[in-house]
Amino acid sequence: MRLLVFTVLSAALMVVDARFTWLQPLRAQLGLIVEPVYWAGSLPVRVWDGATQELSTRSELTVENEKLKAEQLIMQRRLQKLAALTEQNVRLRELLNSAALVDDEVLATELIGIDPNPFTHRILIDKGEKDGVVLGQPVLDARGLMGQVVEVMPYTSRVLLLTDTTHSIPVQVNRNGLRAIASGTGNPERLELRHVADTADIKEGDLLVSSGMGQRFPAGYPVAIVSEVIHDSGQPFAIVRAVPTASLNRSRYMLLVFTDPRTAEQRATESAQAQEALDREILQQAQPAKNAPAAPANPPEAAQ
Amino acid sequence: MAVRANNTWVIWLTFALALLLSVSSMPKFMELGRPLWLGLFLTYWVLALPHRVGMTTAWCIGLLADVLNGSLLGQNALILTLITFLVLTLHQRLRMFPMWQQSTVLLVVFGLAQLVQLWLNALTGSRPPTLAFVLPALVSALLWPWVCMLLRGLHRRLGVN
Repeated sequence: MRLLVFTVLSAALMVVDARFTWLQPLRAQLGLIVEPVYWAGSLPVRVWDGATQELSTRSELTVENEKLKAEQLIMQRRLQKLAALTEQNVRLRELLNSAALVDDEVLATELIGIDPNPFTHRILIDKGEKDGVVLGQPVLDARGLMGQVVEVMPYTSRVLLLTDTTHSIPVQVNRNGLRAIASGTGNPERLELRHVADTADIKEGDLLVSSGMGQRFPAGYPVAIVSEVIHDSGQPFAIVRAVPTASLNRSRYMLLVFTDPRTAEQRATESAQAQEALDREILQQAQPAKNAPAAPANPPEAAQ
Repeated sequence: MAVRANNTWVIWLTFALALLLSVSSMPKFMELGRPLWLGLFLTYWVLALPHRVGMTTAWCIGLLADVLNGSLLGQNALILTLITFLVLTLHQRLRMFPMWQQSTVLLVVFGLAQLVQLWLNALTGSRPPTLAFVLPALVSALLWPWVCMLLRGLHRRLGVN
């Protein structure tokens, strides 16, 4: 009898949770317990990491330091080029009269837990509603896109990784702009492109970047590198496999991206308005400068 | 209030420990065989103190587990209730059994629970492609004698009743 009651209750809860959003606040509140539990659960790992760090020798640290310095140098060289390229890009976009590419804002976050179910690829991060995290927000690491936020709790959130079997992301081949959809396979080292025509121009080594088509991920972030393309005449589509560029099962620090919620038109109008305002300001500044020799005694009036 | 010597807090402490163990980080290859800690601990207390730990307790703990795992609310609750129900119906006999026989019965119980888990997961779209879902049941059944002895020691020493 009791079993029946609880079964019905559980079933009802599951249906409500899956189909409606009424339970979200309850979940969010209960989510407060999540962080301490995961923190305590990962304590052994943390202690171990701390101990190895404490006990690592001076020479190891020196080696690591040198490696990091070299890496930084390489990054800075790339950055130098980037500034020029960005400048050029903005100028070209102005020529084309399209909206300026806005740099996205990011927030650094740390991994605090991994979903105990080995068949789902979800992780827990240490930023939540209180930090402004929203549902569907993209998450990336130093090398590429990692996934999106699927559950927001007060101080933590859950991120669904690209390689989960339930996840798909619209991508584009960086070389020629060919669009496709990359779906997770449940293997942390593999994505599969769905419904790619046998004749499509895609080959091994191609970089796939997010296309921004789904309005969820910002365009232009690296997603994966094509690892193999199989043409099987018995199959209607080519089988295309790719390896995610982000280290999905190794990254400890990640970035939450805050993209501009405005549409392209709104952005264009607003940037045009901003440009006009800027022009007017420059004009106004130029006016008193021109009048300056004629009326040197009235700058306070000009200010009014 | 008179001194209540039944030490029920020990039960809750062990459940907290089980929750912790069920989400603690493990090497990747061991994740597949993560034992059903909650199921194991619950089984012990249901066998030992059926008047104190019942389906209501199981359901509440299951809800907490759902929040922790991010599964649908009610999924783990349903499974733990099911385990408790099976153990409760069998408990007169289970208590008479020698340890290895208990383990065998529990293997079936946990296997059933994992099967329900698999179905529920399939409903929400994340289904494992392999038969690996029975592995946790097997590991749990093998761990049962040790968990049982450990908890019995705790139970006797602290006089929980």
